[in-house]
Amino acid sequence: MPRINSPAELEELRKGILSNRDPNRPCITLCSGTACHASGSEEVAASIEEEIKKQGLSAEVDFRKTGCHGFCERGPIVVIHPEGICYLQIEPKDIPEIISQTIKEKKVIERLLYTDPTTNKKIVHESEIPFYKNQERLVFGSNGKIDPKSIDDYLALGGYSALAKVLSQMPPEQVLEEVKKSNLRGRGGGGFPTGRKWEECRNAPGEIRYVIVNADEGDPGAYMDRSLLEGNPHSVLEGLIIGAYAIGSHEGYIYVRQEYPFAVENVDIAIKQAEEYGLLGKNILGSGFDFTVKVHRGAGAFVSGESSALMTALEGRVGEPRPKYIHTVIKGVWDKPSNLNNVETWATVPLIINKGADWFRGIGTEGSKGTKIFSLVGKVNNTGLVEVPMGMTLREIIFNIGGGIRDGKKFKAVQTGGPSGGVIPEKYIDLPIDFDELTKAGSMMGSGGMIVMDEDTCMVDTARYFLNFLAHESCGKCVPCREGIKQMLNILTDITEGRGEKGDIELLEEVAAMVKDFSLCALGATAPNPVLSTLQYFRDEYVAHIEQKRCPAHVCKPLISYYIDPEKCQACMICLRQCPVGAISGGKNQIHVIDQAKCTKCNTCFEVCPPRFSAVRRLSGEPVPPPVKDRVLVRRKG
Amino acid sequence: MVNLTIDGKAVKAEEGTYILQVARANNIDIPTLCYHPALEPFGACRLCTVEITSRGRKRLVTSCNYPVEEGLEVSTNSEAVIKGRRMILELLLARCPNVPLIQELAKSYGVEKPRFKMENDNCILCGLCARICEERIGVSAISFSGRGLERKIDTPFHIHSEICQGCGACVFVCPTGAIKLEDITDKQPRPILSEFDAGLGSRAAIYVPFPQAVPKVPVIDRDVCIHFLTGNCRICENSCQAGAINYDQEDEIIETEVDAIILASGFDLYDPSRVEEYGYGKVKNVITAMQYERMISASGPTEGRLERPSDGKTPMKLAFIQCVGSRDIHHKLYCSSVCCMHATKEAMLANEHYPDLKAFIFYTDMRAVGKRFQEYIARAEQEYKVTYIRSRPSKITENPDNGRNPIVWYEETTTRTRTSMEVDMVVLCQALIPSGSAKGISDMLHLSLNDYQFINIPDRLFHPVDTEIPGIFACGFCQAPQDIPDSVVQASAAASRAAEFMSKEE
Repeated sequence: MPRINSPAELEELRKGILSNRDPNRPCITLCSGTACHASGSEEVAASIEEEIKKQGLSAEVDFRKTGCHGFCERGPIVVIHPEGICYLQIEPKDIPEIISQTIKEKKVIERLLYTDPTTNKKIVHESEIPFYKNQERLVFGSNGKIDPKSIDDYLALGGYSALAKVLSQMPPEQVLEEVKKSNLRGRGGGGFPTGRKWEECRNAPGEIRYVIVNADEGDPGAYMDRSLLEGNPHSVLEGLIIGAYAIGSHEGYIYVRQEYPFAVENVDIAIKQAEEYGLLGKNILGSGFDFTVKVHRGAGAFVSGESSALMTALEGRVGEPRPKYIHTVIKGVWDKPSNLNNVETWATVPLIINKGADWFRGIGTEGSKGTKIFSLVGKVNNTGLVEVPMGMTLREIIFNIGGGIRDGKKFKAVQTGGPSGGVIPEKYIDLPIDFDELTKAGSMMGSGGMIVMDEDTCMVDTARYFLNFLAHESCGKCVPCREGIKQMLNILTDITEGRGEKGDIELLEEVAAMVKDFSLCALGATAPNPVLSTLQYFRDEYVAHIEQKRCPAHVCKPLISYYIDPEKCQACMICLRQCPVGAISGGKNQIHVIDQAKCTKCNTCFEVCPPRFSAVRRLSGEPVPPPVKDRVLVRRKG
Repeated sequence: MVNLTIDGKAVKAEEGTYILQVARANNIDIPTLCYHPALEPFGACRLCTVEITSRGRKRLVTSCNYPVEEGLEVSTNSEAVIKGRRMILELLLARCPNVPLIQELAKSYGVEKPRFKMENDNCILCGLCARICEERIGVSAISFSGRGLERKIDTPFHIHSEICQGCGACVFVCPTGAIKLEDITDKQPRPILSEFDAGLGSRAAIYVPFPQAVPKVPVIDRDVCIHFLTGNCRICENSCQAGAINYDQEDEIIETEVDAIILASGFDLYDPSRVEEYGYGKVKNVITAMQYERMISASGPTEGRLERPSDGKTPMKLAFIQCVGSRDIHHKLYCSSVCCMHATKEAMLANEHYPDLKAFIFYTDMRAVGKRFQEYIARAEQEYKVTYIRSRPSKITENPDNGRNPIVWYEETTTRTRTSMEVDMVVLCQALIPSGSAKGISDMLHLSLNDYQFINIPDRLFHPVDTEIPGIFACGFCQAPQDIPDSVVQASAAASRAAEFMSKEE
């Protein structure tokens, strides 16, 4: 590998790479992110390689395994360039046809295209699919274009030009000013102004400073940092080096979960490549600036994503938060000034440098600039990673990009900000999403998790679910968080299992208030959010659970019973045969009856009862009517 | 110095100190469960939370680790603080309902019955044990394991720690009694036996040797102190409010020129285990007279109760054996001269404490030499039911049943019959020997010793305290066995002789 010694040499190298690449040469890109990998992209890749060889196209067609495209719901995704034809949910058996038809014959295969659910029209190009069309993919956009293991792919797209710019044209103070001016706020959860953080770290006394990438993403259902680090590791590295230069740091760490094997692998490769090119190490691009970076693999504790806990873990100790009365930018890892930012924050930095703070400020809302990647999951049609400008409304994200609620159900709420975020009810569906609005609504941005819930979601059970997660993932160091969450969980469990008592809601609120104010770290301080926000918007559900022993969404098993309506039952035997515990009695021409003592409330009968009968009902808060005595004969209606 | 106010009181504090330290120094009480002056603040119990106003902003912070700053206003008992503490204590009481410390603290905040699901734990997870082991002992034999609901104090892999040195700092620092050393190590901690209590009790590595010690200040036993063994610990330094702990003090040799020397180095006790037939160290309920003295003393390890070693029961049948090592061709030929009388006194004391107790004294010859000593013996026999048996027991064995009663085998010399007596406990009145330092001193001064290692007095008749060298005098037990009154007489004599000698010199 040639070492690059100056920005000019970098530009030359880039030109060289581009000149070797024919933009009109067919290229098959296959999403190989974790989600597509799980959907079988590896087998698809093998069959693409085999088929290219088989059909004798090795010299004419490029094949590239890229990072996550975001539309994980429909993976594995194949995009054929230069046309941009997008095929979804590809299996190995589709490959021979794709190669022979699309590559050779330039024909589009209709059945593999995306069908717009509203218009029923087939959509050929990736960019026209509503899921993508309504996004603004500034940070995440390159993921689908490059092979994360190839630094040349990143360079071809203009990679490391921002680094070259700062090292050759901008003194560190100017970089700081630019980032401050951009009003970039930390994407990891807190939303602290990045430029201010950098400045505090730069001004902290001491010789040694550290810069850290927080890739210890732990929220259930959130994977944007993972996909970014997996799919475009160089963008994160470039941001980190720029930040280190601005702060005056010569040593950086990437703290990434061990459970993210592709991220670890790809970032390791990226570091090696950057070192070989002289983009890391001594005298970067001939500027005299030295910077090295090490990867630290985290052991999977959610709490280690909290900055002070992460730093403790980085020191080789158990990841537990420590007091931050003296900020980590002054006294962080090994008591040295340490600047920690989230993956997405770092990856945004090169864009700001290249396009300018003013450009960045033009995107987003007053208080929150730029775009944000959300992990859109739950009961939404198009699950995946979406990047939108700050200020987009929930409705636009969930309905325009997410394609609305699954199975035609009704939207109930969306949970944002991870387990310690809050729920936002339907009445705020037109809420523009940014740091401040979410906080005002009783939730938070967090790292960008967005779990969509439909009408079949019980909010008490949701709160219980998140508290259960937090009870296990709290480090357990401080009493309010450890004991407080545990006891709130006990109360919620009691409520969902029919043992709720009058006064439980007030006690929950009392504990929540203390946990919020007295906990050691942000995890504890935000842990009551699931309880408080569900109480704020769905208090009636709590009351129904406690006072009427009724779960309005029919989710809490101890509070519901299954009942076959004798008026509707057609004695079709389907539920009777499917019941795994044999709780349904009856027969041909005999109305079916559920033995309540045997029923395990597995929901099977409810699911299998033909919709035209809809005889199985879920009851909650009311007694199950006794079985009909004499009417055991079936009444057949025309 | 930084100026701040705590509960409206203006105080000064050194920069870099924490609110809690400053409050305590000013006699303002803030409750804590995880703070220890010898450890880094941990901020886990959150009980020490106070409300501060800093740069116009009100905040709740933990006082144990919030550094003081100029103009800081601290309220240690604002409504928000009290409310939060009450909830924390309610939660802790639900976790540890049977821990007195938590019960009391909760009660002081008006919490008696938690509204939560009750558990029955003893550990409040304050981490003092693990932190002292790491920060001070430098071992980390135990630490937190698991997180959230699974968090607990444990050894690595839940097995007995190999590195635990059994120092017991964790047990010492645990505020709830939750730490059991046997859970951590299979090593048996060896107590540091108290020399003053004749090994019956234990003492700390830092201790006052005995109540009348001069000077009466604690000393550090360097042979067992963790700090001197490993370089770590130094906990006493943080605990001593007077700042009196000094690890650098060394023994000093002071050279002084003198005109006369009086030797009064006293006696040691002969090791009774060398008189093998009496089973000291093997037969559990055989003790020495010195151990007995400590036991019967109101300020001793048992506070005056007689408790025999095998089972702690009060012995109701007691045997004293005289001449253990004295007047014995295998050990010391001389009579130690005080044992007949102290055994009699001790037997009387036992009877005074326990009127039903029977004491037997096995003696060779009754040597009640002194004014009214014989009457004292008679009183013991008549008023205290002490039985004197003229016999030198041949051996002492142990009855394996019956609480390991010792059996004294002896010849009833008046009837010339061989017999035995099973008693509850035996007290050996061992021989007295010149103190170990007598030999060193005599060598240093070129004085000779007699056959029994006493300082040689050439003219016992006319110069009973003069040694071989003019100007050097010896008094008390270092020159011959004698009791306290005789020693006092000799001491006066030696003082006079020294004065006489020095005045002649001038």
